[in-house]
Amino acid sequence: SAAARRPWRLFGAMCLLRLPRITQPLEKEEEEVAALMEQIELERSLYSDHEMRKLEEEEQLKKKMESLYDEDEAHGKTVIMAQDLEEKWEQKFLRFKAAPRITDADKSNDRTSLNRKLDSNLMLLVKQKIGNQELWLLPQVEWQPGETLRSTAERAMATFLGDHIQAKVLGNAPFGIYKYKFPKAMRTENNVGAKVFFFKAFLQSSDLSQAKLKADYLWVTKKELGDHLQSEYLKKVNRFLLD
Amino acid sequence: ALLASHRSYRSRPTHGIGRFKYLLPKEVPKRRKEKVQMKEISAGTEYQYGDINIQLTSHDLCLVERFAQYVHRLCNRLCIRVTESYAMPTKTNEVLFLEERGSKMQLDAVLTTHQRVVQIRGLSSTFAPILLEVIQSSQPEGVHLLMKQHTEADFKSRLKARPELEELLAEMS
Repeated sequence: SAAARRPWRLFGAMCLLRLPRITQPLEKEEEEVAALMEQIELERSLYSDHEMRKLEEEEQLKKKMESLYDEDEAHGKTVIMAQDLEEKWEQKFLRFKAAPRITDADKSNDRTSLNRKLDSNLMLLVKQKIGNQELWLLPQVEWQPGETLRSTAERAMATFLGDHIQAKVLGNAPFGIYKYKFPKAMRTENNVGAKVFFFKAFLQSSDLSQAKLKADYLWVTKKELGDHLQSEYLKKVNRFLLD
Repeated sequence: ALLASHRSYRSRPTHGIGRFKYLLPKEVPKRRKEKVQMKEISAGTEYQYGDINIQLTSHDLCLVERFAQYVHRLCNRLCIRVTESYAMPTKTNEVLFLEERGSKMQLDAVLTTHQRVVQIRGLSSTFAPILLEVIQSSQPEGVHLLMKQHTEADFKSRLKARPELEELLAEMS
């Protein structure tokens, strides 16, 4: 009958992504092409205003050195030489220190910190107890009748990370689904198995004041997922992850 | 007559041999004034977005143009209809440093901000987050991305104000 309860239990899981902060390093061919293009552009380009000024001043200096005659008309303008400007800019540039691309967390391979691998996506994995086993999963929570699956996923995120996380959920439609059947011992008429619907969200703020229960969490990249997840689960999750 | 064609010829028989424009259908001359509003669907039953503007802003001109090209070609590839792809006028900012150590020096820097807009229609809501993620993950350094719905205000910002016309209208009414 239409009102019979379906035998599948529904879960909503949230895949929380921390977006990359720097671009990935270029491949060898890309670097070669970039260098070649730069050289071509340099050879084809014309002199800019600053360079023209510099050349003129150099010529004037040379004239002054060789034959000591002063042209009072032309010299009135140049108070600051172009060469001085350049040197000033060079010094300013040397004083600037860029932040390191490979942070400490990278070197120590500390998977719980958000600072590692600034050039790729990081995903949140949580250790949850399902049945008898403790498994590494994307945070998931069972669906209550009467709420949308997206709010289930948001609730899952809230239970593991606290209420005030600034995460932007992408769309109302799930990104992937993983369904599995319970082992024979656990199956009843109403409980054949479970379906897990995955949603994606982007982490907006980079620092999490972690208050709530943290029950073993990890931030991993796509390649490192294989170390922690089961193979079937991993296959379904990999389908909706971009590198 | 043996010859079926009746080409009118002046001095030489091959006069007018390449004529073909009379065979083409008649073209209506295009009106120069643009129509203002196009239709807007937002959250219909098939859950489609109406017109969406993807605005790319940056200081580096070549980078933003190449990225706009990339976004346009990506949408072509994914069979999303691109209605318009235009550029907003560049804004020039002069940055003046007032250092008051010894002699007052003013170092000038001139920064130009360029903006390119790619307008998209008919994006289904199941596909929109995927597109957003793809564009976000391929964003180059220094380019700001903004996706928003197209409004009349956006359209008006492209047009120039015509003070003489407004004066005349004010005089008339």
